[in-house]
Amino acid sequence: MTGLGGFARRTERTGLAGLDGLTGVSSRLPRSLTPTAVVLVAGAVIVLVYGQQYTGSVFVLAACYAIVTAGMAVQIGFSQQIAFSQSVFMGVGAYGVAMLNTHFAMPVLVATPLVLVGAGLVALLLGSVVTRASGLALAVATLMLPLIAAGYVSSAGYLGGVVGAPLTGTLWPSSASTSATVIAVAGGLIVVIFLAIAVFVASRILTSDIGLELFVLGVDERTAAAMGVRTPRRKLELFVLGCVFAALGGAAYAGTQQFVPETLVDPTSELALLIMLFIGGRRSVIGAVIGALVIQYLQGASNWVSVNILVVEGLLLTVVLLVDPEGLAGIVNTGMAWLRRQRGAGPVGAGSSDEALVVDVPSTTKEGGQWAIDRVGADGAALAGAPSAAGGADAAGAGAALLEVRGIGKEYGGLTVLDDVTIRLPERGLFGLCGPNGAGKTTLLNVIGGSVAPSRGTVILDGEDITRRPPHERFYLGISRTFQAVHLIKGRTVLDNVAVACLASHTSSIVTRVARSKLDDARDKAARTLSDLGMRGIQDREVSSLTLESQRMVELARALAPNPRVLLLDEPASGLSEEQRHRLAELLTAFGERTCVLLVEHDLDLVAQVSERIFVLSSGRLVFDGGPADFRASPVVNSLLVGR
Amino acid sequence: MKFGNLVIAGIVTGSIYAVFAVCVSVWYRVSNILNLAVGDFAMVGALGVDNLYRVKGLPLWAAIVTTLAVVGAFSYLYDQVVLRIALDGRRQMEGIVVTFFFTFALSFFIDGVAKMLFGTDVHAAPALWNGASLSWGSLHLERAGLLVLACAVIIGGAFWVYIRYTLGGKALEASGENAVGARIAGIDTKRYRRLIFVGTAVIAAIFGIVESPITGYTYLSGATISLTGFLAAAYGGFRKPGRALVAGLAIGVLEALLGGYVSAEYGDTVLYAILAALVLAWPRGLGFESAVTQ
Repeated sequence: MTGLGGFARRTERTGLAGLDGLTGVSSRLPRSLTPTAVVLVAGAVIVLVYGQQYTGSVFVLAACYAIVTAGMAVQIGFSQQIAFSQSVFMGVGAYGVAMLNTHFAMPVLVATPLVLVGAGLVALLLGSVVTRASGLALAVATLMLPLIAAGYVSSAGYLGGVVGAPLTGTLWPSSASTSATVIAVAGGLIVVIFLAIAVFVASRILTSDIGLELFVLGVDERTAAAMGVRTPRRKLELFVLGCVFAALGGAAYAGTQQFVPETLVDPTSELALLIMLFIGGRRSVIGAVIGALVIQYLQGASNWVSVNILVVEGLLLTVVLLVDPEGLAGIVNTGMAWLRRQRGAGPVGAGSSDEALVVDVPSTTKEGGQWAIDRVGADGAALAGAPSAAGGADAAGAGAALLEVRGIGKEYGGLTVLDDVTIRLPERGLFGLCGPNGAGKTTLLNVIGGSVAPSRGTVILDGEDITRRPPHERFYLGISRTFQAVHLIKGRTVLDNVAVACLASHTSSIVTRVARSKLDDARDKAARTLSDLGMRGIQDREVSSLTLESQRMVELARALAPNPRVLLLDEPASGLSEEQRHRLAELLTAFGERTCVLLVEHDLDLVAQVSERIFVLSSGRLVFDGGPADFRASPVVNSLLVGR
Repeated sequence: MKFGNLVIAGIVTGSIYAVFAVCVSVWYRVSNILNLAVGDFAMVGALGVDNLYRVKGLPLWAAIVTTLAVVGAFSYLYDQVVLRIALDGRRQMEGIVVTFFFTFALSFFIDGVAKMLFGTDVHAAPALWNGASLSWGSLHLERAGLLVLACAVIIGGAFWVYIRYTLGGKALEASGENAVGARIAGIDTKRYRRLIFVGTAVIAAIFGIVESPITGYTYLSGATISLTGFLAAAYGGFRKPGRALVAGLAIGVLEALLGGYVSAEYGDTVLYAILAALVLAWPRGLGFESAVTQ
């Protein structure tokens, strides 16, 4: 099969399972175009060779579904936004074209763009409501869509009810004298072009900087928001994208089948699409296309199979997922990786590079000055709207607060977690935040970072009240953070994990990245940060293969890379050994000389060693505020934290 | 007394949704998998008994015992083969593939086999309790409906007693709260996963047998039951069997009232719209967040 061969060749170069070429830095353009070229050439050949024959007509039908599944690969597989809206919007596309064609005698090719615009608008409206929900709530809410649509369509007379809606026109504008072969072949070629466009858009998005954002969004919405991803907007964009792709598939279906069956919108149709996606490979655009082809050809493979298609699909899906959760695309990728190993071209980047990091860290801190200058010089402009921190610091003096937390209170139900906490931090320096478990330290960080809304009080950054700003906006204002438990993006390299924080793509939409990806810029910037921290050796490693210390270092690098004005660190030393803590202390001191760092930490010696001022919280109240000498001597601190 | 009769009918169907919702959420607690095939086991129960009794001529009791044994054996085998590879294998799977798609595939498989064995016509297990419907004044209740209610109360009660008062129930609760912690404390979480999976499959089959004389089943009926059970479980955040039970009853009554007062044709459409609106009105309030982050 032509398609599969091309797929195999493509994935061989792509490498990592199912990620559609996201891992490499170089030669991005040709790689992201390969799937499109394969679809275009293989599709055209199949349509031209088989034409009206069985193989040709099944291929065209499968291609209509593949347009839909290509969108699902982006929305459901890659970004893990499980919305069951595709069969409904296939119906919107198909019925839309059918209605315009029968009632207004509009040619299908003219009706299609109109219907797509209409479907996009409907999706925008619907999406702005349903994408408020996340995860399973989104899945449950959108599960109702095919149920509602099926009930509506089957009793809507103008759509033909249970009989369905016929079309007089065809995808290729035809008259009575046009031969059936021309209609089939020309229509088939148009569908192939539609599919190629869908594959092009989908794979360009996945390989762009937004693709990286979407991956993070899929893994963890909160981390994504803390890294500056505009999660509500991205979720809405994904929903609309999935719906428009589905409508295009539906229009192609109506134009080539010349009939819209009522069953197109119902839950069974949605389930069939999901089966295609997951058998093919949920995160791979080409995999999704292959999945549609496999299922469509299976249905006609033999009489027995078509009668017992449920058994066959159920078994196939179970077996494929057991072998590889990434579907056929994942199986092919694994096979290719195995073949490469057999040929002796061993994997690159594995090995002892972790040790290199451990040796490098202290030496880097000594050259920290260079790192800082480079940072301000090269990246000062990246903080949109933020005044340059470089010049103003000395002139403004120590009196001006950069970050001010004023009268913050937070209650969960009847439980008071924070009670009237006020803290002012200048532009530079390292500040410790201590307190027993449950004192409200992490909650305070969350309030500053924006993931938790305070019950009372205000957060002020550089004179501006940011209390009501969402996390991603605060990120772009210069607030960057790490998490108590390591929140790295599994399945991606160290470089990509840091690059997430360097994307600066909050003002762009998904679609603008089809033309030009800024992923390489972000990776360059991430590589510079990593190299400054002496972590160049591990930048191509997958993050979950790293030691805990390295993972924490990667989180630090990610928080530092965007050149933050305020750095919030949540227990960066937990789980580290004595020696590792010493290295961390040196690094933290270096950070504090250049930016404002708020450090939450249980290791009191570490805090006293590196901080110029320390705050102690107890039961949500600020009970101590002073320098390290007072901190060590304070009876309050000793009774609370040391037990003396 | 249209209202009263609609409520009674609603409670009967609602009690089925409730039991299925409880089955879905109890198993989700121990396995982190949403059992989308639970309704298909009910369908197998109904059509299996019908086939063995009516077509193969087995005595009714033997047909019921055989069907339940087959359902139990099959679900045991499924756990031992598929779930074992997926969850306990060298490469442990997680995320949406496991949460949805293995039981999703299982549902397809069971429906396909049922189509092969039982055909596509509407059938039902024979009524276990014959006679005219019971009446109090203008209120009516089918005898089968009373059986359904009785089963729901008995099985629901047994579940409650088991979870609340036995060591096994405590262990079950522990596995749900924190699987790793439970394993460290010496609880065999895999055993509970298997136990509950097989148990809920057999319970579902029993309900299929008891309820099918009221509605009649085809090989595709299972998906609809699973769906409603799934939805009711969703309103309990997939982790709260108690709330799932209430939600199941409420959905049943709402469905009957909408069908009776609004429109028989659009009743379900309106019901689904209301259910969707409820999710969207409190996207975080229904306990979904904990289900997602787990």
